[in-house]
Amino acid sequence: MDVDLVERAQRGDKLAFSLLAGAIADRFLAVARRILRDQDLAEDATQQALLAIWQNLPQLRDPGRFEAWSYRLLVHACYTEGRKERRWIPNLRLLPVEESAATDDLSSVVDREQLERGFRRLSIDHRAVVVLYHYLDKPLDEIASILEIPVGTAHSRLHHAMRGLRAALEADLRPTAREAS
Amino acid sequence: MSQERDVTRLVRSWIREDQHESADRILGMVLDRLDTTPQRRSWWPGRRSNRMNTYAKLIVAAAAVLVVAFAGFQLLPRSGGVGGEPTIAQSPSPTLLASGNFHLKGAAVELDATRDGSDVTGVMTVDDSGPHFTADLECTRTTPGGMIIIGGVARDSTSDYAPDGTRVAITLKPGSPMTGTFHFENPDPPAATCLEFIESVTDAMQAPVQDPIEGNIELRP
Repeated sequence: MDVDLVERAQRGDKLAFSLLAGAIADRFLAVARRILRDQDLAEDATQQALLAIWQNLPQLRDPGRFEAWSYRLLVHACYTEGRKERRWIPNLRLLPVEESAATDDLSSVVDREQLERGFRRLSIDHRAVVVLYHYLDKPLDEIASILEIPVGTAHSRLHHAMRGLRAALEADLRPTAREAS
Repeated sequence: MSQERDVTRLVRSWIREDQHESADRILGMVLDRLDTTPQRRSWWPGRRSNRMNTYAKLIVAAAAVLVVAFAGFQLLPRSGGVGGEPTIAQSPSPTLLASGNFHLKGAAVELDATRDGSDVTGVMTVDDSGPHFTADLECTRTTPGGMIIIGGVARDSTSDYAPDGTRVAITLKPGSPMTGTFHFENPDPPAATCLEFIESVTDAMQAPVQDPIEGNIELRP
């Protein structure tokens, strides 16, 4: 990220901020959608996070830390929207899936549904670690820095989340195994 | 182990499923709101070159100790000797709200606050090895999210962000670790009262900028 752009935005330069926000908005929406599994909530979280970045940029002491700091605000916005999810869960709609992009790696629609179900059972804390690690390819120490948690906690959250997702997949496999025997 | 890799592969594949959608519409809405969304003041304007010398620091530290000692002395129970005058019970009686020496956002903080309802007495000194100020504390409130806000008026200030006579506040969020941040008055328009000032501080606006507190603090919300 262009540090000069960050510093200009810190001083209230709206053009600099628009360039900065334009560079991260698509990625933010993608991350928020993956954490929240809901398009409307993800859009709200993205909007909230971008505005929070604008408001709080002057308080960022090290412009070089912009990326981690901005993801922290995004994850925080996801927490806020995630709380709405609990209240509004009957109204949730599943994200559309583009079949063509998925068929190569995912063995079946059933796997995808099991993963979706298993992922939704995870807390936002755990979902955030999974998305940062498996989608953004962030190392655990950077994830710990973004979420302001110890590295060990980031590791245990990832472990717990993956165990939950594995259980979700195995729950689907079990009846099949019984049928085979 | 191969099963483990298989699950990881499935999860990575699933989470990376392509879902192209542009955030242009959201970006447009955000940019439309910039004019009506003021940026929040930064904590310190940057370190100054004219740092306090050791002598000055000693004076500030000694003054802080005297203030704390005086406040403590004021809180000591008064004895009228044997058979002295009975103490008049006040309801609610002043109780400790927050006390400690800690670092927050890189600044050394000494906090000593006693509450009586929403009224607060005590002082907070904040020193960033350069800009510093003392706040005479006046009021407090607890947000629905459990954040404690203590407000006061700055004096003896060398900080551009807390000039003498302006309102300042510290927010403290219990937890592990406890987190906090500072809040400065927007002079345009200034808040009429301490309570009005801290009413403007909400959970939603503060949470993203709370930092961990390092040091000792006793908090009795």
